[in-house]
Amino acid sequence: MERKNFLKSLVIGAVSSSVLVEACKKDADTATTTTTTTSGSSSSGSTSGSTDSGTCSVVPTETEGPYPTHSPASYVRSDITDGRTGYTLTAKITINNSNNSCSALSGALVDIWHCDAEGNYSEYGGSGTQSTNYTSVHFLRGRQTTDSNGLVTFTSIFPGWYTGRATHIHVHVYNSSGTSLKVTQIAFPEGTGSALLAVSGYAKGMSGYTYNASDNVFSDGYTLETAAVTGSTTAGFVLTIGLSVPA
Amino acid sequence: MQKRVIILCYRKIIDIRSVKQWDKLVFESTYLEFKMQAQNFSQGTDYTSYAQLLRNVPNAQRLSGMVTPSVTGYIQQLGSIMPDILNNIGRRFLTFSKFQLEIINSDINDKEKHQVAVNFYSEPLVWHDTIDNYLLVSGHSPENQSAAENNVVATNLMQLQPYINISSLQYHN
Repeated sequence: MERKNFLKSLVIGAVSSSVLVEACKKDADTATTTTTTTSGSSSSGSTSGSTDSGTCSVVPTETEGPYPTHSPASYVRSDITDGRTGYTLTAKITINNSNNSCSALSGALVDIWHCDAEGNYSEYGGSGTQSTNYTSVHFLRGRQTTDSNGLVTFTSIFPGWYTGRATHIHVHVYNSSGTSLKVTQIAFPEGTGSALLAVSGYAKGMSGYTYNASDNVFSDGYTLETAAVTGSTTAGFVLTIGLSVPA
Repeated sequence: MQKRVIILCYRKIIDIRSVKQWDKLVFESTYLEFKMQAQNFSQGTDYTSYAQLLRNVPNAQRLSGMVTPSVTGYIQQLGSIMPDILNNIGRRFLTFSKFQLEIINSDINDKEKHQVAVNFYSEPLVWHDTIDNYLLVSGHSPENQSAAENNVVATNLMQLQPYINISSLQYHN
């Protein structure tokens, strides 16, 4: 089955690239389209405008450079606020390795994402063309790499809530090569004097709020997923939590 | 006479065999991001390829958007100049303000399967004439418009070539 699917994907790739070539070529050149369809989806790698050996484009004659430099994904940032308003939340997440005596796990990639004060998430990419002026479309999403103590720190806002869910922060932990180690969510303490009650759901209030015990994710037990949250609406809040993952 | 304003799309294919430095960086960056994001969809399944995820997992079509932030830094390094596409005297001349990342094929466990395209969309161009296999174009910018008042406009000759498409056409009076 797997092989069948793979072959199917190759066919799709070959069809789409040959159609594209047809669409881009002059009538007189269409007889030569087989050059780009011989090995399906991966055959077109070297075809890039002037460098293509199949055409007679002039070679570039330009001053060299600027040279490209390594640029991390724009998810990689510590401050994920992107202008979203709300009470400041500093999230300190420590990752340890349950396969190594719970010692600190350094070099792990930690993605977090959560909703804004109104309970809305940023869109991922979306459809249609992307402008290069492309900031803040993934607000309240970020990535950091754990230090030698297994710690990552994010600056954000205290999340709001939406119908059916308790307030939470999504966390996905990967090893340094991007292999998933754990997908989980951070829950918030909700008793008297808690940050959750101090924020009180922002403009929404707490009417209709789903508490952890009724939450469909946390209701099976959330002790290990519940953070400690200190601070106030004026000074901002600090969230700390340790997560054990098998690395 | 009616003026034809076009937008060109250059579909730049990048895979494991790409040799240019920028292409290699985009390959590595998009593969890492694909692998990371695809695991949000593959959890609890045996699917590892992009095609399998697309066919079987709801919302997997979001992956191209989710992987896009891994290239924005590299796009910005291009300084709005479209790579690879030259005029007939060997200079890059097309400017772009929009791009779209497309995942063609990939696999969480097999980097060699990873193939993406960056679709660059040019700024609007006036298509003046077609000379043999070349388009004679000029930028459809305000500066060029005012210069055109003297019936003089800076133009470029560009060869028609694979992976270039005229992606839109608009007639102006």
